[in-house]
Amino acid sequence: MNAVNIKGLTKNYGKNEVLKHIDLEVPEGVIYGLIGPNGAGKTTLIKALVGALKPTQGSVEVFGLEPIKNRWELRKKIGYMPQSPALYTDISARRNITFFGRAQKIINLEEKVQKILEFTELENRADEPVRTFSGGMQKRVSLACALIHEPKILFLDEPTAAVDPHLKQRSWQLFRSLAKTGVTLFISTHLMDEAMLCDKITILKDGEMLAVNTPENILSMGKTRIELIRNGERLKTEISSKPADLLSELKKFGLDRSIENIKINSDNIEDVVLSIINNKK
Amino acid sequence: MQTIVIAKRVITQLKGDKRFLILSIVAPVIIVYFLKLMFNALTKLTVVPMPEMFPMPLPQLSTEKFVMPVTAFIVHFLSFILCSILLVQERTRGTLERMLISGYKKSSIILGYVVGYFGLATIQSVVILTEAIYLFDLNFDGKTLVILFMVIWMLAIVSVMLGIFISTFARNEGHIFPFIPLIILPSLFLTGVIVDANELPKVAEIIGYLLPLRYANNIIQIIGKPDYVLSEVILNFGILLGYATALWFLASKTMKETE
Ligand SMILES: Nc1ncnc2c1ncn2[C@@H]1O[C@H](COP(=O)(O)OP(=O)(O)OP(=O)(O)O)[C@@H](O)[C@H]1O
Ligand SMILES: [Mg+2]
Repeated sequence: MNAVNIKGLTKNYGKNEVLKHIDLEVPEGVIYGLIGPNGAGKTTLIKALVGALKPTQGSVEVFGLEPIKNRWELRKKIGYMPQSPALYTDISARRNITFFGRAQKIINLEEKVQKILEFTELENRADEPVRTFSGGMQKRVSLACALIHEPKILFLDEPTAAVDPHLKQRSWQLFRSLAKTGVTLFISTHLMDEAMLCDKITILKDGEMLAVNTPENILSMGKTRIELIRNGERLKTEISSKPADLLSELKKFGLDRSIENIKINSDNIEDVVLSIINNKK
Repeated sequence: MQTIVIAKRVITQLKGDKRFLILSIVAPVIIVYFLKLMFNALTKLTVVPMPEMFPMPLPQLSTEKFVMPVTAFIVHFLSFILCSILLVQERTRGTLERMLISGYKKSSIILGYVVGYFGLATIQSVVILTEAIYLFDLNFDGKTLVILFMVIWMLAIVSVMLGIFISTFARNEGHIFPFIPLIILPSLFLTGVIVDANELPKVAEIIGYLLPLRYANNIIQIIGKPDYVLSEVILNFGILLGYATALWFLASKTMKETE
Protein backbone atom coordinates (compact mmCIF):
# COMPACT_ATOMS: atom_id res chain seq x y z
CA MET A 1 0.00 0.00 0.00
CA ASN A 2 1.16 3.52 -0.75
CA ALA A 3 1.59 5.89 2.17
CA VAL A 4 -0.02 8.69 0.15
CA ASN A 5 -2.38 8.56 -2.81
CA ILE A 6 -3.52 11.79 -4.43
CA LYS A 7 -5.85 11.82 -7.41
CA GLY A 8 -6.89 14.91 -9.30
CA LEU A 9 -6.37 17.21 -6.32
CA THR A 10 -7.41 20.77 -7.09
CA LYS A 11 -7.62 23.67 -4.68
CA ASN A 12 -9.06 27.07 -5.51
CA TYR A 13 -8.94 30.19 -3.43
CA GLY A 14 -11.65 32.19 -5.12
CA LYS A 15 -10.62 32.35 -8.77
CA ASN A 16 -7.03 31.54 -7.95
CA GLU A 17 -6.21 27.91 -8.77
CA VAL A 18 -3.47 27.07 -6.28
CA LEU A 19 -3.24 23.33 -6.94
CA LYS A 20 -4.04 22.06 -10.42
CA HIS A 21 -5.14 18.47 -10.76
CA ILE A 22 -2.31 16.88 -8.79
CA ASP A 23 -1.77 13.11 -9.05
CA LEU A 24 0.82 11.75 -6.68
CA GLU A 25 1.82 8.48 -5.06
CA VAL A 26 4.26 8.16 -2.19
CA PRO A 27 5.50 4.65 -1.42
CA GLU A 28 5.88 3.68 2.21
CA GLY A 29 9.23 4.17 3.94
CA VAL A 30 10.81 6.67 1.56
CA ILE A 31 11.93 10.26 1.86
CA TYR A 32 9.81 12.11 -0.63
CA GLY A 33 10.79 15.64 -1.60
CA LEU A 34 8.37 18.31 -2.71
CA ILE A 35 10.51 20.89 -4.49
CA GLY A 36 9.19 24.23 -5.60
CA PRO A 37 9.73 27.98 -5.45
CA ASN A 38 7.77 30.37 -3.19
CA GLY A 39 4.06 30.24 -3.88
CA ALA A 40 4.24 26.92 -5.74
CA GLY A 41 1.59 25.39 -3.49
CA LYS A 42 3.77 23.22 -1.24
CA THR A 43 2.12 24.30 2.02
CA THR A 44 -1.32 23.99 0.47
CA LEU A 45 -0.59 20.43 -0.65
CA ILE A 46 0.74 19.43 2.77
CA LYS A 47 -2.28 20.97 4.51
CA ALA A 48 -4.57 18.93 2.31
CA LEU A 49 -2.65 15.81 3.35
CA VAL A 50 -2.87 16.48 7.10
CA GLY A 51 -6.55 17.35 6.93
CA ALA A 52 -6.20 21.07 7.57
CA LEU A 53 -7.60 22.01 4.20
CA LYS A 54 -10.61 20.91 2.20
CA PRO A 55 -9.78 20.08 -1.42
CA THR A 56 -11.93 21.80 -4.01
CA GLN A 57 -11.79 18.64 -6.13
CA GLY A 58 -10.13 15.28 -6.19
CA SER A 59 -9.27 12.76 -3.54
CA VAL A 60 -6.50 12.48 -0.99
CA GLU A 61 -5.63 9.34 0.95
CA VAL A 62 -3.02 8.72 3.62
CA PHE A 63 -2.61 5.02 4.41
CA GLY A 64 -5.90 4.48 2.64
CA LEU A 65 -7.71 6.93 4.93
CA GLU A 66 -9.23 10.31 4.11
CA PRO A 67 -7.52 13.04 6.13
CA ILE A 68 -10.72 14.91 7.02
CA LYS A 69 -13.26 12.12 7.20
CA ASN A 70 -11.05 9.66 9.10
CA ARG A 71 -9.16 12.27 11.08
CA TRP A 72 -9.34 10.57 14.46
CA GLU A 73 -7.82 7.40 13.10
CA LEU A 74 -5.22 9.26 11.08
CA ARG A 75 -4.02 11.65 13.74
CA LYS A 76 -2.25 8.82 15.52
CA LYS A 77 -0.34 8.01 12.35
CA ILE A 78 0.67 11.43 11.06
CA GLY A 79 3.19 13.92 12.35
CA TYR A 80 3.04 17.46 11.03
CA MET A 81 5.65 20.18 11.25
CA PRO A 82 4.17 23.44 9.95
CA GLN A 83 6.22 26.00 8.06
CA SER A 84 6.10 28.48 10.96
CA PRO A 85 7.30 27.06 14.29
CA ALA A 86 3.77 26.96 15.83
CA LEU A 87 5.02 26.71 19.41
CA TYR A 88 4.15 28.32 22.73
CA THR A 89 7.11 30.59 23.08
CA ASP A 90 6.56 31.43 26.76
CA ILE A 91 6.93 27.83 27.86
CA SER A 92 9.86 25.45 27.67
CA ALA A 93 10.74 23.05 24.87
CA ARG A 94 9.95 20.12 27.14
CA ARG A 95 6.53 21.50 28.03
CA ASN A 96 5.74 22.18 24.37
CA ILE A 97 6.58 18.64 23.33
CA THR A 98 4.75 17.14 26.30
CA PHE A 99 1.70 19.29 25.61
CA PHE A 100 1.31 18.16 22.01
CA GLY A 101 2.05 14.60 23.08
CA ARG A 102 -0.81 14.65 25.60
CA ALA A 103 -3.34 15.06 22.80
CA GLN A 104 -3.15 11.30 22.52
CA LYS A 105 -2.73 8.54 24.99
CA ILE A 106 0.97 7.85 25.06
CA ILE A 107 2.46 5.52 27.62
CA ASN A 108 5.71 6.63 29.27
CA LEU A 109 5.30 10.08 27.78
CA GLU A 110 7.94 11.71 29.98
CA GLU A 111 10.52 9.13 29.00
CA LYS A 112 9.69 9.57 25.33
CA VAL A 113 9.95 13.33 25.58
CA GLN A 114 13.41 12.95 27.09
CA LYS A 115 14.46 10.59 24.29
CA ILE A 116 13.23 12.96 21.62
CA LEU A 117 15.00 15.89 23.28
CA GLU A 118 18.20 13.90 23.03
CA PHE A 119 17.50 12.79 19.48
CA THR A 120 17.00 16.41 18.38
CA GLU A 121 19.97 17.58 20.49
CA LEU A 122 17.89 19.89 22.63
CA GLU A 123 18.47 18.33 26.05
CA ASN A 124 20.84 21.10 27.19
CA ARG A 125 18.22 23.78 26.94
CA ALA A 126 15.10 21.67 27.28
CA ASP A 127 13.72 23.63 30.21
CA GLU A 128 14.25 27.13 28.91
CA PRO A 129 11.42 29.08 27.30
CA VAL A 130 11.32 28.63 23.54
CA ARG A 131 11.35 32.38 22.93
CA THR A 132 15.03 32.41 23.97
CA PHE A 133 15.89 29.88 21.22
CA SER A 134 17.39 30.69 17.82
CA GLY A 135 15.29 30.11 14.72
CA GLY A 136 17.08 26.85 13.94
CA MET A 137 16.53 25.53 17.47
CA GLN A 138 12.85 26.44 17.34
CA LYS A 139 12.62 24.40 14.14
CA ARG A 140 14.03 21.44 16.04
CA VAL A 141 11.53 21.87 18.86
CA SER A 142 8.83 21.97 16.22
CA LEU A 143 10.18 18.76 14.69
CA ALA A 144 10.29 17.14 18.12
CA CYS A 145 6.60 18.02 18.64
CA ALA A 146 5.79 16.30 15.34
CA LEU A 147 7.71 13.17 16.38
CA ILE A 148 6.41 12.66 19.89
CA HIS A 149 3.65 10.18 19.11
CA GLU A 150 5.91 8.14 16.81
CA PRO A 151 3.94 8.71 13.62
CA LYS A 152 4.18 6.41 10.61
CA ILE A 153 4.36 9.36 8.24
CA LEU A 154 5.87 12.79 8.77
CA PHE A 155 4.87 15.89 6.85
CA LEU A 156 7.61 18.47 7.18
CA ASP A 157 7.00 21.88 5.64
CA GLU A 158 10.39 23.45 4.87
CA PRO A 159 12.10 21.98 7.93
CA THR A 160 15.51 23.31 6.96
CA ALA A 161 14.67 26.78 5.71
CA ALA A 162 16.87 29.34 7.49
CA VAL A 163 18.93 26.60 9.13
CA ASP A 164 22.73 26.79 8.89
CA PRO A 165 24.63 24.23 6.75
CA HIS A 166 25.91 22.23 9.70
CA LEU A 167 22.51 21.92 11.30
CA LYS A 168 20.96 21.19 7.93
CA GLN A 169 23.29 18.26 7.52
CA ARG A 170 22.39 17.03 11.01
CA SER A 171 18.69 17.37 10.21
CA TRP A 172 19.05 15.24 7.11
CA GLN A 173 20.92 12.62 9.12
CA LEU A 174 17.94 12.62 11.48
CA PHE A 175 15.50 12.26 8.58
CA ARG A 176 17.52 9.38 7.13
CA SER A 177 17.65 7.57 10.46
CA LEU A 178 13.88 7.95 10.80
CA ALA A 179 13.37 6.59 7.29
CA LYS A 180 15.50 3.58 8.23
CA THR A 181 13.00 2.71 10.94
CA GLY A 182 10.26 2.58 8.30
CA VAL A 183 8.82 6.07 8.73
CA THR A 184 7.71 7.79 5.53
CA LEU A 185 8.87 11.39 5.25
CA PHE A 186 7.20 13.94 3.02
CA ILE A 187 9.41 17.01 2.98
CA SER A 188 8.88 20.29 1.19
CA THR A 189 11.78 22.57 0.34
CA HIS A 190 12.75 25.35 -2.00
CA LEU A 191 16.42 24.41 -1.64
CA MET A 192 17.36 22.47 -4.75
CA ASP A 193 20.47 20.88 -3.26
CA GLU A 194 18.26 19.04 -0.78
CA ALA A 195 16.57 17.27 -3.66
CA MET A 196 19.60 14.97 -4.00
CA LEU A 197 19.04 13.75 -0.43
CA CYS A 198 15.54 12.45 -1.17
CA ASP A 199 14.63 9.05 -2.55
CA LYS A 200 12.12 10.57 -4.91
CA ILE A 201 11.12 14.11 -5.78
CA THR A 202 8.28 16.04 -7.30
CA ILE A 203 8.81 19.46 -8.78
CA LEU A 204 5.90 21.80 -8.19
CA LYS A 205 5.43 25.18 -9.85
CA ASP A 206 2.30 27.35 -9.83
CA GLY A 207 0.28 24.42 -8.54
CA GLU A 208 1.37 22.11 -11.35
CA MET A 209 3.52 19.02 -11.11
CA LEU A 210 6.34 19.33 -13.61
CA ALA A 211 8.31 16.15 -12.94
CA VAL A 212 8.30 13.12 -10.68
CA ASN A 213 11.41 11.04 -10.49
CA THR A 214 14.40 9.95 -8.49
CA PRO A 215 16.91 12.76 -8.04
CA GLU A 216 19.50 10.77 -10.01
CA ASN A 217 17.19 10.55 -13.02
CA ILE A 218 16.34 14.22 -12.73
CA LEU A 219 20.02 15.02 -12.58
CA SER A 220 20.69 12.93 -15.69
CA MET A 221 18.24 15.13 -17.59
CA GLY A 222 20.91 17.77 -17.24
CA LYS A 223 23.55 18.67 -19.79
CA THR A 224 27.32 18.48 -19.73
CA ARG A 225 29.29 21.07 -21.60
CA ILE A 226 32.73 20.21 -22.84
CA GLU A 227 35.28 22.74 -23.96
CA LEU A 228 38.45 21.52 -25.64
CA ILE A 229 41.38 23.49 -26.82
CA ARG A 230 43.24 21.77 -29.68
CA ASN A 231 46.13 23.47 -31.44
CA GLY A 232 44.94 26.75 -30.03
CA GLU A 233 41.44 26.15 -31.43
CA ARG A 234 38.49 26.21 -29.05
CA LEU A 235 35.92 23.36 -29.52
CA LYS A 236 32.63 23.36 -27.62
CA THR A 237 30.05 20.56 -27.41
CA GLU A 238 27.05 19.87 -25.25
CA ILE A 239 26.06 16.32 -24.36
CA SER A 240 23.86 14.61 -21.77
CA SER A 241 25.16 14.16 -18.26
CA LYS A 242 25.39 10.36 -18.55
CA PRO A 243 28.97 9.20 -17.85
CA ALA A 244 28.89 6.90 -20.90
CA ASP A 245 28.15 9.84 -23.19
CA LEU A 246 31.10 11.75 -21.83
CA LEU A 247 33.36 8.82 -22.55
CA SER A 248 32.20 8.37 -26.13
CA GLU A 249 32.43 12.08 -26.75
CA LEU A 250 36.01 12.18 -25.56
CA LYS A 251 36.88 9.08 -27.57
CA LYS A 252 36.27 11.10 -30.72
CA PHE A 253 39.33 13.09 -29.89
CA GLY A 254 41.38 10.05 -28.98
CA LEU A 255 42.88 12.34 -26.40
CA ASP A 256 45.65 13.33 -28.71
CA ARG A 257 48.72 15.09 -27.59
CA SER A 258 47.76 18.39 -29.09
CA ILE A 259 44.92 18.75 -26.60
CA GLU A 260 46.08 21.31 -24.15
CA ASN A 261 43.07 21.65 -21.96
CA ILE A 262 39.62 20.17 -21.34
CA LYS A 263 36.89 21.93 -19.40
CA ILE A 264 33.87 19.90 -18.35
CA ASN A 265 30.88 21.62 -16.85
CA SER A 266 27.94 19.48 -15.79
CA ASP A 267 24.57 20.77 -14.63
CA ASN A 268 23.98 20.24 -10.96
CA ILE A 269 20.56 19.36 -9.60
CA GLU A 270 19.75 23.01 -9.07
CA ASP A 271 20.44 23.80 -12.74
CA VAL A 272 18.26 20.93 -13.88
CA VAL A 273 15.37 21.74 -11.58
CA LEU A 274 15.53 25.41 -12.51
CA SER A 275 15.56 24.60 -16.20
CA ILE A 276 12.51 22.35 -15.74
CA ILE A 277 10.78 25.17 -13.90
CA ASN A 278 11.80 27.83 -16.39
CA ASN A 279 10.84 25.79 -19.45
CA LYS A 280 7.30 25.74 -18.12
CA LYS A 281 7.03 29.52 -18.15
CA MET B 1 -8.66 14.65 30.23
CA GLN B 2 -7.66 16.76 27.20
CA THR B 3 -9.49 19.65 28.83
CA ILE B 4 -7.31 19.45 31.94
CA VAL B 5 -4.12 19.32 29.85
CA ILE B 6 -5.14 22.43 27.92
CA ALA B 7 -6.23 24.20 31.11
CA LYS B 8 -2.86 23.50 32.69
CA ARG B 9 -1.06 24.88 29.68
CA VAL B 10 -3.23 28.00 29.66
CA ILE B 11 -2.38 28.54 33.34
CA THR B 12 1.38 28.09 32.77
CA GLN B 13 1.15 30.45 29.86
CA LEU B 14 -0.81 33.04 31.83
CA LYS B 15 1.71 32.85 34.64
CA GLY B 16 4.52 33.38 32.15
CA ASP B 17 2.92 36.37 30.48
CA LYS B 18 3.37 39.39 32.73
CA ARG B 19 1.53 41.80 30.44
CA PHE B 20 -1.50 39.58 30.49
CA LEU B 21 -1.51 39.32 34.28
CA ILE B 22 -1.13 43.06 34.66
CA LEU B 23 -3.92 43.70 32.20
CA SER B 24 -6.30 41.33 33.92
CA ILE B 25 -5.63 42.25 37.58
CA VAL B 26 -3.94 45.63 37.79
CA ALA B 27 -5.98 47.28 35.04
CA PRO B 28 -9.38 46.64 36.65
CA VAL B 29 -8.02 47.80 40.01
CA ILE B 30 -6.95 51.10 38.48
CA ILE B 31 -10.20 51.48 36.55
CA VAL B 32 -12.28 50.98 39.70
CA TYR B 33 -10.13 53.60 41.38
CA PHE B 34 -10.85 56.00 38.49
CA LEU B 35 -14.51 55.22 39.01
CA LYS B 36 -14.14 56.34 42.61
CA LEU B 37 -12.51 59.58 41.50
CA MET B 38 -15.36 60.20 39.09
CA PHE B 39 -17.88 59.59 41.85
CA ASN B 40 -16.15 61.99 44.17
CA ALA B 41 -16.48 64.66 41.49
CA LEU B 42 -20.11 63.71 40.79
CA THR B 43 -21.23 63.92 44.41
CA LYS B 44 -19.69 67.38 44.66
CA LEU B 45 -21.64 68.40 41.56
CA THR B 46 -24.96 67.03 42.72
CA VAL B 47 -24.74 68.44 46.23
CA VAL B 48 -23.87 72.00 45.28
CA PRO B 49 -26.84 73.02 43.01
CA MET B 50 -29.91 74.67 44.45
CA PRO B 51 -32.40 72.20 45.92
CA GLU B 52 -35.41 73.79 44.10
CA MET B 53 -33.95 73.18 40.67
CA PHE B 54 -32.57 69.74 41.38
CA PRO B 55 -34.89 68.32 43.95
CA MET B 56 -33.07 65.01 43.78
CA PRO B 57 -29.66 64.02 42.52
CA LEU B 58 -29.87 61.83 39.40
CA PRO B 59 -31.31 58.64 40.84
CA GLN B 60 -29.18 56.28 38.77
CA LEU B 61 -25.99 57.76 40.08
CA SER B 62 -26.43 56.57 43.60
CA THR B 63 -23.36 54.54 44.40
CA GLU B 64 -25.12 51.31 45.41
CA LYS B 65 -26.94 51.12 42.11
CA PHE B 66 -24.00 52.13 40.01
CA VAL B 67 -20.81 50.69 41.37
CA MET B 68 -21.55 46.98 41.10
CA PRO B 69 -22.89 47.06 37.52
CA VAL B 70 -19.87 49.07 36.42
CA THR B 71 -17.56 46.66 38.21
CA ALA B 72 -19.31 43.79 36.46
CA PHE B 73 -18.92 45.60 33.16
CA ILE B 74 -15.17 46.04 33.64
CA VAL B 75 -14.71 42.34 34.34
CA HIS B 76 -16.91 41.45 31.38
CA PHE B 77 -15.03 43.70 28.99
CA LEU B 78 -11.53 42.68 30.04
CA SER B 79 -12.16 38.94 30.16
CA PHE B 80 -13.82 39.09 26.77
CA ILE B 81 -11.00 41.02 25.11
CA LEU B 82 -8.16 39.11 26.73
CA CYS B 83 -9.55 35.70 25.98
CA SER B 84 -10.49 36.43 22.41
CA ILE B 85 -7.03 37.83 21.74
CA LEU B 86 -5.36 34.83 23.37
CA LEU B 87 -7.31 32.49 21.15
CA VAL B 88 -6.78 34.50 17.97
CA GLN B 89 -3.06 34.37 18.74
CA GLU B 90 -3.31 30.60 18.75
CA ARG B 91 -4.73 30.83 15.27
CA THR B 92 -2.17 33.28 13.87
CA ARG B 93 0.75 31.37 15.40
CA GLY B 94 -0.50 28.09 14.01
CA THR B 95 -0.73 26.40 17.40
CA LEU B 96 -4.49 25.98 17.07
CA GLU B 97 -4.03 24.09 13.81
CA ARG B 98 -1.29 22.07 15.43
CA MET B 99 -3.45 21.21 18.45
CA LEU B 100 -6.24 19.99 16.17
CA ILE B 101 -3.90 17.92 14.01
CA SER B 102 -2.23 16.48 17.11
CA GLY B 103 -5.63 15.15 18.13
CA TYR B 104 -7.17 17.72 20.48
CA LYS B 105 -10.91 18.12 20.13
CA LYS B 106 -12.43 21.54 19.56
CA SER B 107 -14.78 21.21 22.51
CA SER B 108 -11.87 20.28 24.80
CA ILE B 109 -9.89 23.28 23.61
CA ILE B 110 -12.71 25.66 24.44
CA LEU B 111 -13.48 24.06 27.78
CA GLY B 112 -9.76 23.94 28.58
CA TYR B 113 -9.56 27.68 28.12
CA VAL B 114 -12.49 28.24 30.43
CA VAL B 115 -11.13 25.94 33.12
CA GLY B 116 -7.69 27.50 32.75
CA TYR B 117 -9.22 30.92 33.19
CA PHE B 118 -11.15 29.90 36.35
CA GLY B 119 -8.27 30.75 38.63
CA LEU B 120 -7.63 34.12 37.10
CA ALA B 121 -11.36 34.89 37.09
CA THR B 122 -11.49 34.02 40.79
CA ILE B 123 -8.58 36.28 41.68
CA GLN B 124 -9.99 39.01 39.47
CA SER B 125 -13.42 38.85 41.11
CA VAL B 126 -12.09 38.79 44.67
CA VAL B 127 -9.68 41.66 44.10
CA ILE B 128 -12.07 43.92 42.27
CA LEU B 129 -14.97 43.27 44.67
CA THR B 130 -12.84 43.89 47.74
CA GLU B 131 -11.56 47.10 46.26
CA ALA B 132 -15.01 48.36 45.26
CA ILE B 133 -16.47 47.57 48.68
CA TYR B 134 -13.58 49.27 50.44
CA LEU B 135 -13.41 52.37 48.22
CA PHE B 136 -17.14 52.99 48.16
CA ASP B 137 -17.71 51.96 51.72
CA LEU B 138 -20.45 49.52 50.78
CA ASN B 139 -22.17 47.30 53.31
CA PHE B 140 -23.38 43.86 52.36
CA ASP B 141 -24.39 40.94 54.52
CA GLY B 142 -22.54 37.65 54.07
CA LYS B 143 -25.11 36.05 51.80
CA THR B 144 -25.26 39.04 49.45
CA LEU B 145 -21.50 39.18 49.35
CA VAL B 146 -21.27 35.55 48.32
CA ILE B 147 -23.86 36.10 45.58
CA LEU B 148 -22.04 39.23 44.37
CA PHE B 149 -18.80 37.33 44.13
CA MET B 150 -20.50 34.53 42.26
CA VAL B 151 -22.10 36.94 39.80
CA ILE B 152 -18.80 38.58 38.92
CA TRP B 153 -17.13 35.20 38.67
CA MET B 154 -19.87 33.65 36.56
CA LEU B 155 -19.79 36.70 34.33
CA ALA B 156 -16.06 36.31 33.82
CA ILE B 157 -16.64 32.73 32.67
CA VAL B 158 -19.42 33.75 30.27
CA SER B 159 -17.17 36.52 28.93
CA VAL B 160 -14.43 33.99 28.27
CA MET B 161 -16.90 31.87 26.32
CA LEU B 162 -18.08 34.91 24.39
CA GLY B 163 -14.48 35.85 23.65
CA ILE B 164 -13.75 32.36 22.32
CA PHE B 165 -16.93 32.35 20.25
CA ILE B 166 -16.14 35.73 18.69
CA SER B 167 -12.53 34.72 18.07
CA THR B 168 -13.70 31.88 15.84
CA PHE B 169 -14.74 34.56 13.33
CA ALA B 170 -11.40 36.34 13.42
CA ARG B 171 -8.29 35.52 11.43
CA ASN B 172 -6.10 38.00 13.30
CA GLU B 173 -6.14 40.29 16.31
CA GLY B 174 -7.40 43.19 14.18
CA HIS B 175 -10.62 41.34 13.46
CA ILE B 176 -11.54 41.46 17.14
CA PHE B 177 -11.82 45.24 17.24
CA PRO B 178 -15.06 45.60 15.25
CA PHE B 179 -16.76 43.45 17.89
CA ILE B 180 -15.96 45.88 20.66
CA PRO B 181 -18.51 48.49 19.57
CA LEU B 182 -20.86 45.69 18.47
CA ILE B 183 -21.03 43.81 21.74
CA ILE B 184 -19.35 45.77 24.46
CA LEU B 185 -20.91 49.21 23.94
CA PRO B 186 -24.50 47.91 23.75
CA SER B 187 -23.72 46.03 26.96
CA LEU B 188 -22.77 49.31 28.56
CA PHE B 189 -25.86 51.18 27.33
CA LEU B 190 -28.61 48.60 27.28
CA THR B 191 -28.17 46.22 30.19
CA GLY B 192 -28.66 48.48 33.15
CA VAL B 193 -25.13 49.65 33.80
CA ILE B 194 -25.91 53.35 33.35
CA VAL B 195 -29.69 53.48 33.15
CA ASP B 196 -32.33 51.09 34.37
CA ALA B 197 -32.84 48.64 31.50
CA ASN B 198 -36.58 48.49 32.15
CA GLU B 199 -36.90 52.16 31.25
CA LEU B 200 -35.54 51.58 27.73
CA PRO B 201 -37.69 51.35 24.59
CA LYS B 202 -38.88 47.82 23.81
CA VAL B 203 -36.36 47.14 21.01
CA ALA B 204 -33.43 48.27 23.11
CA GLU B 205 -34.67 46.19 26.01
CA ILE B 206 -34.89 43.10 23.80
CA ILE B 207 -31.35 43.65 22.54
CA GLY B 208 -30.29 44.00 26.14
CA TYR B 209 -31.78 40.58 26.88
CA LEU B 210 -29.48 39.08 24.25
CA LEU B 211 -26.42 40.24 26.14
CA PRO B 212 -25.08 38.31 29.13
CA LEU B 213 -24.38 41.43 31.18
CA ARG B 214 -28.13 41.97 31.44
CA TYR B 215 -28.55 38.89 33.61
CA ALA B 216 -25.60 39.73 35.82
CA ASN B 217 -27.09 43.17 36.35
CA ASN B 218 -30.49 41.62 37.05
CA ILE B 219 -28.94 39.71 39.94
CA ILE B 220 -27.15 42.81 41.19
CA GLN B 221 -30.46 44.73 41.09
CA ILE B 222 -32.34 41.96 42.86
CA ILE B 223 -29.92 41.61 45.73
CA GLY B 224 -29.90 45.40 46.10
CA LYS B 225 -33.45 45.19 47.42
CA PRO B 226 -33.76 44.58 51.17
CA ASP B 227 -35.86 41.40 51.03
CA TYR B 228 -35.17 39.59 47.80
CA VAL B 229 -36.29 36.15 46.79
CA LEU B 230 -33.44 33.73 46.22
CA SER B 231 -35.29 31.90 43.44
CA GLU B 232 -35.13 35.00 41.23
CA VAL B 233 -31.38 35.10 41.73
CA ILE B 234 -31.07 31.43 40.89
CA LEU B 235 -33.16 31.91 37.75
CA ASN B 236 -30.77 34.55 36.44
CA PHE B 237 -27.77 32.41 37.33
CA GLY B 238 -29.43 29.61 35.40
CA ILE B 239 -29.75 31.87 32.37
CA LEU B 240 -26.07 32.81 32.60
CA LEU B 241 -25.13 29.17 32.84
CA GLY B 242 -27.34 28.39 29.84
CA TYR B 243 -25.74 31.26 28.00
CA ALA B 244 -22.26 29.85 28.67
CA THR B 245 -23.29 26.35 27.59
CA ALA B 246 -24.88 27.66 24.40
CA LEU B 247 -21.74 29.63 23.58
CA TRP B 248 -19.61 26.57 24.18
CA PHE B 249 -21.77 24.57 21.81
CA LEU B 250 -21.83 27.34 19.19
CA ALA B 251 -18.10 28.00 19.37
CA SER B 252 -17.28 24.34 18.85
CA LYS B 253 -19.47 24.53 15.74
CA THR B 254 -18.05 27.78 14.37
CA MET B 255 -14.39 27.06 15.14
CA LYS B 256 -12.90 26.21 11.76
CA GLU B 257 -10.89 23.05 11.51
CA THR B 258 -10.09 23.32 7.81
CA GLU B 259 -9.39 26.09 5.35
N1 LIG C 1 -5.71 31.23 2.61
C1 LIG C 1 -5.37 31.59 1.36
N2 LIG C 1 -6.17 32.41 0.65
C2 LIG C 1 -5.86 32.76 -0.63
N3 LIG C 1 -4.75 32.37 -1.25
C3 LIG C 1 -3.91 31.57 -0.60
C4 LIG C 1 -4.17 31.13 0.74
N4 LIG C 1 -3.15 30.34 1.13
C5 LIG C 1 -2.30 30.29 0.09
N5 LIG C 1 -2.75 31.02 -0.95
C6 LIG C 1 -2.08 31.16 -2.26
O1 LIG C 1 -1.76 29.89 -2.74
C7 LIG C 1 -0.52 29.89 -3.40
C8 LIG C 1 0.35 28.79 -2.87
O2 LIG C 1 0.66 29.05 -1.51
P1 LIG C 1 1.51 28.08 -0.62
O3 LIG C 1 1.60 28.68 0.72
O4 LIG C 1 0.96 26.71 -0.72
O5 LIG C 1 2.92 28.15 -1.35
P2 LIG C 1 4.30 27.51 -0.87
O6 LIG C 1 4.78 26.67 -2.01
O7 LIG C 1 4.15 26.86 0.43
O8 LIG C 1 5.21 28.80 -0.77
P3 LIG C 1 6.42 29.14 0.27
O9 LIG C 1 7.65 28.50 -0.27
O10 LIG C 1 6.50 30.61 0.20
O11 LIG C 1 6.02 28.62 1.60
C9 LIG C 1 0.06 31.28 -3.25
O12 LIG C 1 -0.12 31.98 -4.45
C10 LIG C 1 -0.75 31.89 -2.15
O13 LIG C 1 -0.89 33.26 -2.36
MG1 LIG D 1 4.92 27.17 2.24
